Amino acid sequence: MRLQRCLANAAAPFVHLFLWAAGEKRLGYAFKDVDAFRRQVWALLDSHDGPFIWAANHLTLWDSFLIYYAIFPFSKSLRWNRIPWSTPEYTNYYKLGNWLQCRLIRAFMYLCRCIPFLRGGDDEGSVRWREKAFEKCIWLLETGGTVFVFPEATRARNGWFEAHRPKDFLGRLALRVPDVKFLCLYMRGETQVGTTAYPAAGETFRIYAELWDPAIGPESTPRSVAEELFRRVGELQERWFASSSMAKNCSGNDVVDLASPLAREHFSPDLAEADPEWAERLLTAKEAAYLGSRPPREVYRTFWRFHAAKEAASKALAQAGVKVLPGGFSTIEVELFQGKARHLPSQLELCLSFTDDDGDKLHCVAVLRGGAVGDGQTPGDVLWRVEAVPPGRSPSDFARELCLELIAGSSDDIPSPASLSFTEIDDIPRVVRQGKPQDWGVSISHSGRFAACSFMVT
Amino acid sequence: MAFKRKEAVVEAVDLNTITPEDAEKRIIAGVKKYATNEANWTKADGNTPYLGHIVGMGIESANLADITMSIERQFLTRKTTRVPVQGSETEFTLVDGELGKLRILEGQDSVMATPGLTIKKLMELGHMRADAAYLEGVASFATIVSVGAGHRLNDALRKTLARLEKLAPAERAEAKANLQSLVQQTQDYEALLADAAALAASKQGDFQTDKASFDSLDAELRLINEKLKGVTATDDPSRAASLRAEEAQVRTRIRMMRQKLVVSEETARGAERRTKVDEAKFQETRAVLAESVKAGQQAMRAATPVAC
Repeated sequence: MRLQRCLANAAAPFVHLFLWAAGEKRLGYAFKDVDAFRRQVWALLDSHDGPFIWAANHLTLWDSFLIYYAIFPFSKSLRWNRIPWSTPEYTNYYKLGNWLQCRLIRAFMYLCRCIPFLRGGDDEGSVRWREKAFEKCIWLLETGGTVFVFPEATRARNGWFEAHRPKDFLGRLALRVPDVKFLCLYMRGETQVGTTAYPAAGETFRIYAELWDPAIGPESTPRSVAEELFRRVGELQERWFASSSMAKNCSGNDVVDLASPLAREHFSPDLAEADPEWAERLLTAKEAAYLGSRPPREVYRTFWRFHAAKEAASKALAQAGVKVLPGGFSTIEVELFQGKARHLPSQLELCLSFTDDDGDKLHCVAVLRGGAVGDGQTPGDVLWRVEAVPPGRSPSDFARELCLELIAGSSDDIPSPASLSFTEIDDIPRVVRQGKPQDWGVSISHSGRFAACSFMVT
Repeated sequence: MAFKRKEAVVEAVDLNTITPEDAEKRIIAGVKKYATNEANWTKADGNTPYLGHIVGMGIESANLADITMSIERQFLTRKTTRVPVQGSETEFTLVDGELGKLRILEGQDSVMATPGLTIKKLMELGHMRADAAYLEGVASFATIVSVGAGHRLNDALRKTLARLEKLAPAERAEAKANLQSLVQQTQDYEALLADAAALAASKQGDFQTDKASFDSLDAELRLINEKLKGVTATDDPSRAASLRAEEAQVRTRIRMMRQKLVVSEETARGAERRTKVDEAKFQETRAVLAESVKAGQQAMRAATPVAC
């Protein structure tokens, strides 16, 4: 480690120049207000003599390089103790390309102060590897250094930092080095919807930072530290989205009238079997296999659960700017047991919840980002309503009215549904309040006798 | 097992023995039972969208697969022999063979938004002879998308106007701000429809976004290939197998993304070129929007107290 540190210190200015040439010049990356950001961060870093842990959200494989570059102007590239050590996944970086490329990349990673980390595997070797890497991080921090760790431990599959799902690794680190402070960070490209290998060429990034002193005491636990850390990064995420043109709250809903003759059309009279040619157009091979494994009495409902989940997911994806082609439901794969839907081309993962699920109908809510869908134990951030359409009413109009009533009824600040209106922006329904379209993840649906709506309260 | 759709007796006809107009009539008749807007279905022509309640036939998205299957059931084609697409283990294309059932492959129905566009696609795929005279009367996919958005926006404005009339004076202030915003949005959209270059530029933006996603996936595939090279060099068979599975998955994702890219490319390209029928659709929609904007402005003036 000492040798690596010496060599990395010597190489720091060259690494900086390489990142400038590759990032700014070749790929056209840019950072918004980078000078002001650097001044703010260095004021924070200079306020503490001891060790730092950088903790940031994770969306692409280049995040650690980009964040380092956003924080470090060339003039600071000799502030060695402040240059962070990273913990990249061994399988992602250390076995790339042919013999020569592989060695060149390893040498580069070595000079970039990397401690390869093996996240997968429960065998003795993998566990030992992790513990050794952990101890290296402790040694670095105890000697006044800086370590950069992504608290989620992996890239966020839904493109959203889940503040309510803390992981203890950084809490454990902080407990071993009580004078450590955290530099909480949130960085994202303005067009970065979800997880990708690299950011798109020409991307502009915005980054926010905050210093946090965990003030470790006798009652501190790895979980309590991790919870607070996640909450703080989550707050930075809120700040990021507050200035973004991308919608933060992305959710969708779908209702299915199970008694509708059209819903039954492609099933055998006892509803125990679906027409395979039709089902093949709507389900992935994995879903079709699951459907085939269900007891006959559950086939009909299971099929429509898949369908409702896909429809709800496609609405949530559209709010994030990912449009699913009409009829492109085989590009969304649903895991009913886990309550997840995945958009296969982008790998974006959505959380699902089935509500109002009875003999007559079923209703599904999908959340991509902005909050949680909730479960049996914890309430989520989505409110919904499902009602029968009164005779003679247009289902579409009724669903919209229902939605405005639900929103107005959920907030003391909104005097009545009359203060709200519907509009459509980029084919997505949006509610307007005080003349401004709101980022509420609004979704409406109707099927046969029922109308439904949902929105997010975060 | 007997499925209900199989009980329906449909006499399929060879697409090369009927006129496009006849095919169009059959397509419209075939989707009748899924159409929830009877009035629009009754007067439907080649340019009436299947989806949407305002100007469309009111078919719900849950029945999209039914539209495709209804079209397949009604027609026969000579393009029935499957040939694998070069470089792919899962994709295939259809070439001339025995007369048989029409098969619309995955992704081919993405731009079949109207009966006319369905026929246009069938001609492009070689199931029917190209008929330039018929195609002159078919509005482009880009037009259908842009015009549909205009009608939905108009509907939102009209509904807000209708609600405003019923409100108590105290509630009107907030509703007026919303109305003002909607009027402005509608006015902007009407101006966008009037400017073919600006509309094309906005659609080009969507295409560039999809292109960036496609390129990013391509980069992911290259990365996996680099990993595979590295694993082969160090001889780790289980890791190599897992990477090959990952590679296959990324290839599938690329195929899906390519389908989407084709649609956004078609939309961007179509937005630039307007035929007479496209122009007529735009004019009609702009007139509707302009009328609603006028009504909205009048309503706002009426809701503003006059100073004495």
